[in-house]
Amino acid sequence: MEAWDIFLQMKDGMTETVKIFFLTLIFTLPLGLLVAFGRMSKNFIIRNLTKFYIAIMRGTPLMLQLLVVYFGPYYLFRIRLTTEYRFYAVIIGFVLNYAAYFAEIYRSGIESMPAGQYEAAKVLGYNWGQTFIKIILPQVIKRILPSVTNEIITLVKDTSLAFSIAYVEMFSLAKQIAARSSTMVPFIIAGVFYFVFNLLVAFVMGRIEKKMDYYTI
Amino acid sequence: MKRKALQKLIALTVVFVLMFCLGACGSKDSDPASATKATSEDESESGNESTGTEKFVVGFDAAFPPYGYLDENGEYVGFDLDLAEEVCERNNWEFVKQPLDWNSKDMELDSGTVSCLWNGFTMSEDRLDKYTWSEPYVDNSQVIVVHKDSGIQKLSDLAGKTVVVQEASSALEALQSDDCKDLLDSFATLDQVPDYNQAFMYLESGGADAIAMDIGVANFQIANKGDDFVILKEAVITEQYAIGFKLGNEELRDKVQNTLNEMVEDGTFDKIAEKWDLSEEVCLGKDK
Repeated sequence: MEAWDIFLQMKDGMTETVKIFFLTLIFTLPLGLLVAFGRMSKNFIIRNLTKFYIAIMRGTPLMLQLLVVYFGPYYLFRIRLTTEYRFYAVIIGFVLNYAAYFAEIYRSGIESMPAGQYEAAKVLGYNWGQTFIKIILPQVIKRILPSVTNEIITLVKDTSLAFSIAYVEMFSLAKQIAARSSTMVPFIIAGVFYFVFNLLVAFVMGRIEKKMDYYTI
Repeated sequence: MKRKALQKLIALTVVFVLMFCLGACGSKDSDPASATKATSEDESESGNESTGTEKFVVGFDAAFPPYGYLDENGEYVGFDLDLAEEVCERNNWEFVKQPLDWNSKDMELDSGTVSCLWNGFTMSEDRLDKYTWSEPYVDNSQVIVVHKDSGIQKLSDLAGKTVVVQEASSALEALQSDDCKDLLDSFATLDQVPDYNQAFMYLESGGADAIAMDIGVANFQIANKGDDFVILKEAVITEQYAIGFKLGNEELRDKVQNTLNEMVEDGTFDKIAEKWDLSEEVCLGKDK
């Protein structure tokens, strides 16, 4: 069997992998910011609840979280699962997990901003929302980009965990093809796929970083 | 500054949307019988026990040829899947193939995401009262596969050797049973791997001296991988395959069993067995 044929067979799996990646990213980035606000909240309950959430999400393996999200409704509440829920569970599991990591990245950025900027903005008549959106956030994004790139690259590779709840993505297809045809080619293709994907991620993020580099302090 | 940020946001969104479109087109173009279709096919929200056009979701391990595996065309095929498909056709059920992570098979069956486990599923002592079983349909034995130059010829030669086995498999269960206690104790180690392909990788690369596995799968793998490997004549244990349903789901079990019996009577069963070169192994209807 030629490498090209194997590649063609793995194509559908690659689509699934890309789908998991982008959906997770799209939901995680805003949710992470929300969680970061919760984590920095002055309200004791909200702050500690968020702290607990982050502790759980960072402290347990993603594979276990996926199993809980998928099988939890049945084993805890006896809700019958549907086959479509498999995909939702993958996305929910990934988003919840990654939001915790992104929240801490956002927090590191936001808390690194000097208080003088808020004070100056106040003097100039900006309200809190304007200050955050127009002054703080652009600088925060600029500062956290390298850490965000790290996290996104990890996400690309983590997509292979989706098969722990039997969602067939690229890497599980690779394993199945390898099981049938006694060849290592599927694994090589999988490796190249992840590598190229991450090169692309690094390239895009590099470009954004460069664009954001409008002045140096 | 704000406009720049906005531009970036728009640019990013465009990139995302483009990637999505590419993904979507890609999947539309693809072969309708392709692998991922099995999972995306399930569109109706009804469970498999509801009325109307029922869905019959077969849970299987897609790395278990010739019973269920991914073929050259990217389709899930195999002896068991062929049988299941025929059963579905005769009952007017919608046939859904769901490849599983074998470790989560019990959770999948319990929670109703699959209707049955039908994939060279060994009816072993330990499992007997955990599932509602069909009648056994294949005689199987757990055998040892070794490299042909290894000099291992019988089970007692395995003393001090490293043996690998698939995790959660019946070979593992057989080795851990009381009958095989002495044999297991004689091994240097018994390592568990996720699937048989990896087991063969261990054996090929010298990471292990022997694999304990089902004879049907062993035959298929050896036919594929050339004659570097041999099966020991002495089997670890003999056993039977049957279909596992959720404990208490006799209704579905009886329906499937009746259809299978029909298939034995009109010869369809034997025809399918012949197609997969398993005529020797099948046992359903033979003792009658």
